Amino acid sequence: MADAAARRALVAAAHDSDLALVAEELPLRANLSVLENIAIVPQYRQNMAYDQAADQAWGLLARVNRTDCAFKRDPDLDSEQRFIAKLLRAIIRSPSIIVIDRPALLLPDTHYPPFLDANLKALQERLNECWILDYPWNEPLYAPR
Amino acid sequence: MPGMNAFTAILTRRGAALLAWLQGWQRLLRFAAGATVEALTPATYNSATRSVVQKQIYFTAWQILPGFTLFAAVLSFVLIQIVVDTARHYGLAEHALEASVRILALEILPLITALFVGLRSGAAINTEVALMIVHNEMQALAETGVDPMRFEFIPRVIGGVISVLALTAVASAFALALAYLAVYGFQASSLTDFNRVMGHIFDAPAIGLLWAKVLAFGLAVTVIPISEGLAAPPAKLFFVPISVLRGMVRLFFVLMLIEVISLVLKYI
Repeated sequence: MADAAARRALVAAAHDSDLALVAEELPLRANLSVLENIAIVPQYRQNMAYDQAADQAWGLLARVNRTDCAFKRDPDLDSEQRFIAKLLRAIIRSPSIIVIDRPALLLPDTHYPPFLDANLKALQERLNECWILDYPWNEPLYAPR
Repeated sequence: MPGMNAFTAILTRRGAALLAWLQGWQRLLRFAAGATVEALTPATYNSATRSVVQKQIYFTAWQILPGFTLFAAVLSFVLIQIVVDTARHYGLAEHALEASVRILALEILPLITALFVGLRSGAAINTEVALMIVHNEMQALAETGVDPMRFEFIPRVIGGVISVLALTAVASAFALALAYLAVYGFQASSLTDFNRVMGHIFDAPAIGLLWAKVLAFGLAVTVIPISEGLAAPPAKLFFVPISVLRGMVRLFFVLMLIEVISLVLKYI
């Protein structure tokens, strides 16, 4: 993004459309496990039975090899697990576009471009489109697509 | 005019405090009205909200049932003994049963149940909702298409009301049994007399008023903590204890107000 104002304008647009935002300021529900945080979306939006919704959530966690954190809650997660939980919570509702806002904030201890690449590839069957919002000075971190 | 300025400053401060206090009540009444409408809307109930209602009833009523029942039974036993002994002492033994049941089943047990649920679950709900606001979890839920009002709050209100009703019913049933034993002893031949007195106490207006009071108690112990928690400002963790303090004080006064109103309607 050109600057912080442009980023904020795009994120504001994401709030009002069929975009799902993955951002630092949108935390997981603290009293729910990772599995419940993801499953709650189809359970609430499609009135899906919990078992069926949890199966879907488990399937997504399995795609990215993160079933080990399925029953952990937010304070027990490391930044990568937390990011994956937020990403899957966004993906499970099948939005047109997923916007990942400033991945460096979400993954402070991770070399995040290859991490994002690997996980988005593992989830590509469930992804329509994914935008990564980052600062211009981080552009060299990303491989050209 | 320094005196006039000081007077104006005092009035301004008092006025601001009064307005903040009134806004708190306005917020509470608005939330209570919204919660009642949502609770009566069939669309509110889906797989997710039903799960939260079940959890709420489990944590608010089922988990505490043995301990609370024991406490209510001991309290009832002591109070029944005091009333029965006092009535006998003054030659009013024939009124002992009616007096015990009126004091316990109609007044003390519903109030004690509401206070117990309010102190235990109401304080927890107030803290949780305030923390949700502070950590921006409400907006995060809304972003995923989950309405926090329907998913987080209405199930707690419904669960709280059902829990207060159920715990009051259980405690009252034990109190009636203990009152029978205290007055008539371990025998079943006085059941007809007992039923006649119960019929006299629990006439239609008394039952209607009791239902209304317990329902109001049930609403108060969840609606007030949620409303106070929602008033917490985002990202200000220090405000959480203040929010709980305000919620508990407001809850205490509302419970007492409901009790006083019910007494006035019944006896004055």
